[in-house]
Amino acid sequence: MKIKTNITRIKLLLFVFILFSNTVYSQTADQIFKAAGTPATPKVEIHWNRYYDFDGVAEICRKLADAHPSLATLESIGSSYEGREIWLLTVTNLENKPHREKPGFWIDANIHANEIQGTEIALYTAWYLLENYGKNDFITKLMDEKVFYIAPTINPDGRDNYIYEPNTGSTPRSGTIPLDDSGDGVAANDPFDDLNNDGHITQMRRRNPLGQFRECPEDPRRMVRVGPGEQGEFELLGLEGIDRNHDGRVNSDGIGRYDPNRDWGWNWQPDHVQRGAYHYPFALPENRAVRDFVVAHPNIAGAQTYHNMGGMILRGPGTREDEQYYTFADRNVYDALGELGDKLLPGYRYLVLYQDLYSVYGGQIDWFHFGRGIYTFTNELFTRYLYFYEQYEDREEAQKAPYQFDRYLLFEDAFVPWEEYDHPQFGKIEIGGFKKNFGRLHPGFLLETDAHRNMAFTLFHAYHTPQLEIHDVQVKDLGRGQKEITAVIANGRIIPTHSGIDLRYNIERPNYISLEGGDVLAGMRVLNPDLNVVEEQKRNPEIIEVDNIPGMGHVTVRWIVDGGRNYTIKVDSAKGGVVRKSF
Amino acid sequence: MQKKLIRAAFILMVALSPFFNLNGQEGYTNHDDLSARLNQLAREFPAVATLESLDKTNGGKEIWLLSIGTGDLENRPAIAVAGGVSGEYPVGTELALLFAEKILENSGDDRVKELLSETTFYVFPDMNPDARAQFFSRLRYERTGNAYPPHSVERNARLAEDPYRDLNGDNMITMMRTEDPSGEWITHPKDPRVMVRASFEKGETGKYTLKPEGIDSDMYDLFNMHREGMVDFNKNFTFQYPAFTPRAGEHAVSEIESRAIADFLFESKNVFAVVGFGPADNLTAPLTYNERAASGRMVTGILQEDAKVNSMVSNKYSGLVSTEGATGKSGTDGDFFQWAYFHYGRFSFSTPGWWVPASEGGSSNPEINFLEWAESEGLENVFVPWQEVEHPDYPGQKTEVGGIAPFVMNNPPYEIVERSAGEHFNFLLELAEMRPVTDIVNVRTERLGRDLHRVTVDIFNEGVFPTVTELGERVRWVQKTVVNFDPDEGQELVSGKRVEVLDRIEGKGRYECSWLVRGRGEIKIRAGAESTGFKEIEINL
Repeated sequence: MKIKTNITRIKLLLFVFILFSNTVYSQTADQIFKAAGTPATPKVEIHWNRYYDFDGVAEICRKLADAHPSLATLESIGSSYEGREIWLLTVTNLENKPHREKPGFWIDANIHANEIQGTEIALYTAWYLLENYGKNDFITKLMDEKVFYIAPTINPDGRDNYIYEPNTGSTPRSGTIPLDDSGDGVAANDPFDDLNNDGHITQMRRRNPLGQFRECPEDPRRMVRVGPGEQGEFELLGLEGIDRNHDGRVNSDGIGRYDPNRDWGWNWQPDHVQRGAYHYPFALPENRAVRDFVVAHPNIAGAQTYHNMGGMILRGPGTREDEQYYTFADRNVYDALGELGDKLLPGYRYLVLYQDLYSVYGGQIDWFHFGRGIYTFTNELFTRYLYFYEQYEDREEAQKAPYQFDRYLLFEDAFVPWEEYDHPQFGKIEIGGFKKNFGRLHPGFLLETDAHRNMAFTLFHAYHTPQLEIHDVQVKDLGRGQKEITAVIANGRIIPTHSGIDLRYNIERPNYISLEGGDVLAGMRVLNPDLNVVEEQKRNPEIIEVDNIPGMGHVTVRWIVDGGRNYTIKVDSAKGGVVRKSF
Repeated sequence: MQKKLIRAAFILMVALSPFFNLNGQEGYTNHDDLSARLNQLAREFPAVATLESLDKTNGGKEIWLLSIGTGDLENRPAIAVAGGVSGEYPVGTELALLFAEKILENSGDDRVKELLSETTFYVFPDMNPDARAQFFSRLRYERTGNAYPPHSVERNARLAEDPYRDLNGDNMITMMRTEDPSGEWITHPKDPRVMVRASFEKGETGKYTLKPEGIDSDMYDLFNMHREGMVDFNKNFTFQYPAFTPRAGEHAVSEIESRAIADFLFESKNVFAVVGFGPADNLTAPLTYNERAASGRMVTGILQEDAKVNSMVSNKYSGLVSTEGATGKSGTDGDFFQWAYFHYGRFSFSTPGWWVPASEGGSSNPEINFLEWAESEGLENVFVPWQEVEHPDYPGQKTEVGGIAPFVMNNPPYEIVERSAGEHFNFLLELAEMRPVTDIVNVRTERLGRDLHRVTVDIFNEGVFPTVTELGERVRWVQKTVVNFDPDEGQELVSGKRVEVLDRIEGKGRYECSWLVRGRGEIKIRAGAESTGFKEIEINL
């Protein structure tokens, strides 16, 4: 009894505390003046200038789904190697039409463990859509017509490992299945050692009159190589660590190591051909979960995956030999969207993966495009351009920029100052360098800006998934109780219902255009209505099969019907959604 | 009781299926009997054999693995023996099963006993059980695809439809010829039962169309037939995977069967060779080195040193197994045999186990050759005489069903299977006896000064096989020989590596390691890999 009252009292105190803290941390609506383009009083308040761990991501997903029950659902599409859920938000107007009957858009991020900010951008996208529904016409219409499937992190084990274990900004790229990288028969027996216990793996340097490095006079934090014929003061010993497996190399066998983005089922090649591949396509549980979901949702017509870094808007293919599968129409779609991206994302460039970056076998972008016929971009988030809005031609200038940015804009928050350390193998050394949250990730104040710009790019991509409309229906009385019904089905956006590879390999079924309401005597595709060039479909004439409805194009179909008064035409397209018209 | 029931069902099935009993293919082991015999082996030889199911197929059948050997199975060389690679070759399952039975029955003999204490056999007798089941079904045809996932049947009824139709009611799918002046086929001048393509160059004109026995509407519009279900195990692997071709699957290793074996093999670092009983044949026709195919980023030809091993093993094979009539078929895209070498990195051998011997007439037409041979052997019912049927798709056109019975050209009568099994048993024993084995020999210690010693040893591969394939040197899933040098606490290692990973050591080859050590005490040296076994020595300084 007494205990209970105590608990009640604690609850009351907590309540008061929460009330009080609310008044401290957020303004009331009447104190706010809306900035253009941003929800001013969202149902879910989220700070977009920091990063969230796996639990944080899950909680944001839950809050969004709870606050917008008619617009979002949250589900787990599978679990990771270590048993974390792969969360997926379905974002659309859930009440006007089943989401599977709308063209779908897939967004994921964080396949590479250290490339975490795509997650926040994916979450920002979900948040922005949800908070603007009913307020902004473009967004409202987009969510009425389209469905977004958003998986904020598809490498949750890696994400938390990056955040909570000692790492550099570039580690781990992998998931956390322990593998033997050093070949000595024992898995993961030489990971990083966070010698100075600061959670960051930085550099080791040692004073050495024979060394080839010295401190930069402008900014002594930075190590620079001495000129030819000069002698320096330091040697660099690599990243913080100890040779634990005695193979003569420091940090030779850490987390993983494999590349989840070399695990996908198109043109997959083994590790000795494509470094990083695991056993076979979709051998990794996280990717298998994505595969299962995507295969089960053939309405997905466009996709965006987020990586870092370099300011790139990448399209496939990953390898030169696959360029042949891109049709002229495919390239036009990518070019139109990519060039828009160039404009919306200052400092970013629209590029072709194999041509402008490097070749990738078994990459996600290729499975999405070639395995499922989905138009897909990968954005490499963050670029040095964002430091001072300058592109660096000069290597020296490019290397200086992050130091200057850290000094003048972050007030040296991103750097671990060099400090002495007594190393068991190297003796007296110094440890220091940039923290893991700098270099590849957006600094806090730049995150929201870039999230918004990237989101805008994907929203236009989603907007351009096929939008089918039964444009024009003409009924001609043929006498004897027969009618000729001719319908024009238009696609008002630039993405076709079937990509080049879809058509080439019959990946996706044709569009079914059906007529109900009369006895269909014959059905045909009308190739040229003016000159009456038609192609009869002898089998199942009530459901005309149309291979493709091109971007910004239209098709014409015709039936000869006996009887009936009220008719319904239904267009059932895997990627273009389902639309009906009765007359 | 259950066994009796199975037996009864078996007898009933044999009785009901007239052709089953007459074309020399009785004795083959259906899945239930296979399961019973494997279980029996595991019960009878508990110290030598362990049976486990790797997974269950969509058709509800177990994917069996019988592990054979005594002692620690995992830290010594192993051979994976795979049957049922292709549903067209049920003989492969028999050869794998009979191998398991023979080696276990002989496990008390000195030679086999010694071998089984130092070598492991992983026997997968039936890698695509749902495909093989068609051999034993009421309706028999050469099926390579697995079973549809249960849900897809409901989701897309068109997919689940049987592509074939037994038009002449003989419980077999053979061929169907229709008289048609636009057809491309004629009867063979030597034997009118056999159909051949009309040769334009010889001035021949076709008289027939030729198709598998069935109804067109069944075959029509099997849209996305390759997408799910009915996937051929032997087309579902990653090497030169034939994407978007019939029965290749949604993507490589998409199926329960292929994943089950791939997962097991990747975990089994001790496997040095894979022997498959299937269509490909590099035992009578060893792979040959081709510099262009063997170089570059994407290796598609066997490497030079590995080709030598293949050649050596082939010679051994031809000496032990009757290879008359061997056709030496090469591997095919996405098959298991090539995957085991090119992507798994192990020595890979494949054989159908049996070929139709050349008949006395010696025709170059394989069907005529087969029919002549079958006649000389007194095999009956290997040919279904052409018989006229009413065909809905060809009203008014004479249509006949007939041709060589399914399976008979790849799967011999059972007495030949038994003989072949004996030969393959001998071959597998010899293969195992050539396994790579790590030893540490020529141990020398030299005193260089007070408390300073040089320790030198040779890491010796006493087997005939190299420690790893040449290709395996770059395959991360292939464990190379590791040498661990572990000095005593008070000792200091002045020179030499505590851990060294060695590249390939040839059969009977050696690699010298040496260390400089200061101080006294006991040194432990351990060398080896799972696929060659481990050897450990101690040296007192």
